[in-house]
Amino acid sequence: MKSSNDATLIATFRPWMKVLGRRQRRLWLGSLLMLLTVIAAIGLLALSGWFITATAITGVMLAAGIQSTLDIYRPGAGIRFFAVGRSVVRYVERTYNHDTVLRLLADLRAGMFTAMTRLDERVMGQLRASEWLNRLTADIDALDSLYLRLLAPPLVALLAIAGIGVLLGLFAPGIGIVVTIPLLGLWLWLVVGQARLGLAASRRRIATLDRLRMRSVEQMQGLAELRCYDTLASHRRRLADEEQALYEDQRRLGRYQALGNALVGMGVTLSAVLALWLGARAFSAGEIRGPVMVMMPLAVLAMNEALASLPGGFTHFGSTLAAAERLNGIASLQGAITDPQSADTLPTGALSLDLVDISLDYSGSGLPTEVRSVTPALDHVSLSIQAGERVALLGASGAGKSSVARLAARLIEPEQGQVVIGGKDVGQVTLADLRSRIGYLTQQAELFHDTLAANLRLGDAQADDARLWDVLGIVDLAAWARELPQGLDTWVGESGRQLSGGQARRVALARVLLSDPGLVILDEPFSGLDAATASRIAERLDPWLAGRTVIYLAHDDSVLSQVDRTIRLREGRLV
Amino acid sequence: MVESDLTPRGWLRHQATHVRTLLMQGVGLGLVAGCLTIVQMGLLAWIVSRLTMNGVLVDELLLPFMGLVLVIILRAMAQWGQESAGVEAGLRVRSRIRAELLDHLAALGPQRLSDQHSAGLGGQLVEQVEALDGYFARFLPQLRLAVLLPLLILFVVLWLDWLAALFLLLSAPLIPLFMALVGMGAERLNREQFLAVTRLAGHFLDRVRGITTLQLFNHTERSVDEVFTAADDYRQRSMRTLRIAFLSSAVLEFFASVAIAVVAIYIGFGLLGYISFGPADELTLFSGLFILLMAPEFFQPLRTLSQHYHDRAAALGAADGLVKLLKRPLPAKPSSSEATATEKVRGSRIRLEGAVVSYPERGRVLGPLDLVVEPGECLAVVGPSGTGKSTLLHLLAGLVTPDEGRSEVSPASPIAWMDQRPWLVKGSLAENLRLAAPDADDERLRHAVRQAGLEALIDTLPDGLETPLGERGLGLSGGQGQRLALARVFLSQAPLVLLDEPTVSLDADTEAQVVESLRHLIDEGRTLIVATHHPALFEMADRVIRLHEGRVIDPQRRGRNEIEQ
Repeated sequence: MKSSNDATLIATFRPWMKVLGRRQRRLWLGSLLMLLTVIAAIGLLALSGWFITATAITGVMLAAGIQSTLDIYRPGAGIRFFAVGRSVVRYVERTYNHDTVLRLLADLRAGMFTAMTRLDERVMGQLRASEWLNRLTADIDALDSLYLRLLAPPLVALLAIAGIGVLLGLFAPGIGIVVTIPLLGLWLWLVVGQARLGLAASRRRIATLDRLRMRSVEQMQGLAELRCYDTLASHRRRLADEEQALYEDQRRLGRYQALGNALVGMGVTLSAVLALWLGARAFSAGEIRGPVMVMMPLAVLAMNEALASLPGGFTHFGSTLAAAERLNGIASLQGAITDPQSADTLPTGALSLDLVDISLDYSGSGLPTEVRSVTPALDHVSLSIQAGERVALLGASGAGKSSVARLAARLIEPEQGQVVIGGKDVGQVTLADLRSRIGYLTQQAELFHDTLAANLRLGDAQADDARLWDVLGIVDLAAWARELPQGLDTWVGESGRQLSGGQARRVALARVLLSDPGLVILDEPFSGLDAATASRIAERLDPWLAGRTVIYLAHDDSVLSQVDRTIRLREGRLV
Repeated sequence: MVESDLTPRGWLRHQATHVRTLLMQGVGLGLVAGCLTIVQMGLLAWIVSRLTMNGVLVDELLLPFMGLVLVIILRAMAQWGQESAGVEAGLRVRSRIRAELLDHLAALGPQRLSDQHSAGLGGQLVEQVEALDGYFARFLPQLRLAVLLPLLILFVVLWLDWLAALFLLLSAPLIPLFMALVGMGAERLNREQFLAVTRLAGHFLDRVRGITTLQLFNHTERSVDEVFTAADDYRQRSMRTLRIAFLSSAVLEFFASVAIAVVAIYIGFGLLGYISFGPADELTLFSGLFILLMAPEFFQPLRTLSQHYHDRAAALGAADGLVKLLKRPLPAKPSSSEATATEKVRGSRIRLEGAVVSYPERGRVLGPLDLVVEPGECLAVVGPSGTGKSTLLHLLAGLVTPDEGRSEVSPASPIAWMDQRPWLVKGSLAENLRLAAPDADDERLRHAVRQAGLEALIDTLPDGLETPLGERGLGLSGGQGQRLALARVFLSQAPLVLLDEPTVSLDADTEAQVVESLRHLIDEGRTLIVATHHPALFEMADRVIRLHEGRVIDPQRRGRNEIEQ
């Protein structure tokens, strides 16, 4: 069964082996350090055993008056060398290897985030933000096992077993071969057996942990609703169910790993007893000398060190496998929006927008449709907005207004038809160029967990404080911001939670005002504001909007003044 | 719930008392395994000595060999039991702590936690609680064994050769000393690292959530750099912790190795007869080899403990964050007798007297405010954004308590609540609705959906209410998401309904439909309090109060007549 899966296993890990390959030299050096640690451990125990037995025999002979000599200085120096060397090498090895792995993880995280920034909104929506977060954190963390627990240690252990075989074989070839056999069997069990034993549970575990985390974040975000509706207890039960499932798997895995650990101790010691038994027979037959007979089982005992880390790594093999599978899933996601090979540039000044026979059918886009969008499609929509025109795009919620805006900003791509901005097909313009020329206030504008100033400066990184105050003035927030104890440096909570809904929205609008777009799309810019504030802001906004193409998205035209034209959408069609 | 002077260490110790039996079981089995190890080493040394010094043939030693095999197998079983007991202790204690935390966070409520990132809190509930595992599963049992087992071995060695025992004894006290020194540093760094992990998670979640915004502002490349910088900063912090952790075990191993080497050389010289001091000339191959084999075992429990030392540091780091959460004071509860009396006499009547709410970053946002709402009344709250409308609703929902003054609301019954930002989770439409009423059947869901004006949409969906949604309702437009949250209000039977801008992204037709449904709620005798800007909602209200900078400036009876002008 294992062999039939080998091909897929290799395919799953191939991309990650490639990433490891980029740091090959560090990895080989790290493995070499591991091997040196094991050699030092074997050397210390084997040499000590040999030395004591040799001295005992020599001592007895001297006491019996038989002329006998033993070089005690070289073995003594050897013992000290191995003793000190082992500690030093081990420290260097662990520091070096962990640094390597953390470097790899930083590479992986940035790479994964880059892949995510290229995805379009529909693909992003297939997973919760907290699930995406886990791809970046827990999944990538799980991959650190790949080198540190799954590749280097079994390789080093195998070399050590071979080394023991050779060492014993130097004195008695038969013993070398025979003792290697149970050690190899043990190695095989620890690598393949433990992996298979823990596979299902450890594979599930990472997904269950993910769900537990999701439920926790969910509960924290919805605490107000859950408490008010008095349904916290039922949500708690769901969380407790996930926890129980997780802990059952953890219990199972804990016991499997304990089994592996116990087997290492038992297997190695029994192999040592076997070496002693065979050595004793060879000694009785006069084939080897006493000190060598003692050295052999002690050298085998030191194998504990080489095998000790295998049960931990391989019992949890499934976790690493599952993480790699899920990360591979992201890499293979379709829906990445990329720059054209050779790009046109958009003209300066106000930009026109033309939609040519656009159809947008969310559900039929060939996604692995875990989440199918509910929003109705745009159905053969054609419209043309002149440069400098002010247009209101009206329609009920879900009529497709936001889809038009997303198409213009190329956050999504249509199944059919062409989006033309400033006379250029949006697909022929670089994303950077396109988006620097479009100012789009989305319906759910996100603020970041950062200072007020940093949130505003997303619109223009170079803007000085005076300009920030200007735009805050336009959205009628300057007076409020001046009252804040920390002014522009006030920390804005998650999604702007420390601001009121209307304030957060106005900060998002102010952010757009810092940029210099030729086409401005404002999705319900005054929602959540009282009429007086809305009209005040609209008035102050007017000079900034002059010389730009403006599209308002709204469900009715009550708050909008001074538009040149009104376009109505109903269920994805122009009215 | 937690006394204010409780340290993370004390809290962990207290938690351990809940799993004492399992911990003792682990220690007991560890001691058995230790004794069996001594027996095993003794047998090995004895066999070797018989073979080499006494010329006994191997076939005559069959019985000792079999005994040896038996001891090895028994030892493996004891080890397995010891580890399994630790695993169980870790599981139970974590489960218990998570429940305690969830209770506390629920009691604190969302407003008191608004300075915390919900991903950070979610992380604390999962990662930090999980990080406690090693402390209970491995560190605590090993702490006892690290004292008991070396003592046991020391006594055996003392009986064999007191000078060798002295060598071991001399090196031993240095070890805890070094470990304590190194451990103290590691603890502090570990705490820092936990902060770094929480910050890193918050940073990532923020960037992932706002990825559209980052795309729109051409900020993706810079944000990738920021992600790399954050990850690399995390590496440097981790390495600082790890280097210290590794150094502690290196120091320990160094002393252990040196001690073993010294013992080996002492025994060798003793056997050669070079040492004529003390018990050295009584050394035999049996006693010498036995001591040599036990020397690593003398240090092994301490080495294992030092490996688990980072478990302790990790647990202390985690406990630090968790205890801080547990120490956040709970809002003062009105004495229970008063609350029930209020409810009995006045039903769901609401009364605020001079209530003031202020937040650390924003100063006073509401009050002083006097307000009485009779059961069955519909009250509209209007005013510019940022004048405390939402805070007033939070206060009435009991999610915040007034810093000054009094508030009387009936805390026992559920409240229907709808936020400005509708809380939608990934899952089906039905799952989202059932967040308000877990036991509601499909018929009730359909009814609620109809009242919220979502029926037409749901009918067009092939999977109906089972249609899945993305996080924050992606796939639904803002207005649809709002109506879904509104459907929850209709689903609930709560006598008090609090709505924050319930029609903010709705078109006129849908709004009229929703207002009509809300009227049904009033007809049912429910109390409605609505924060809004929309005239259609004022008209529905019995009374409109206007807030300005957190204070009522213009209370109006029968709001609808006066709004007209």
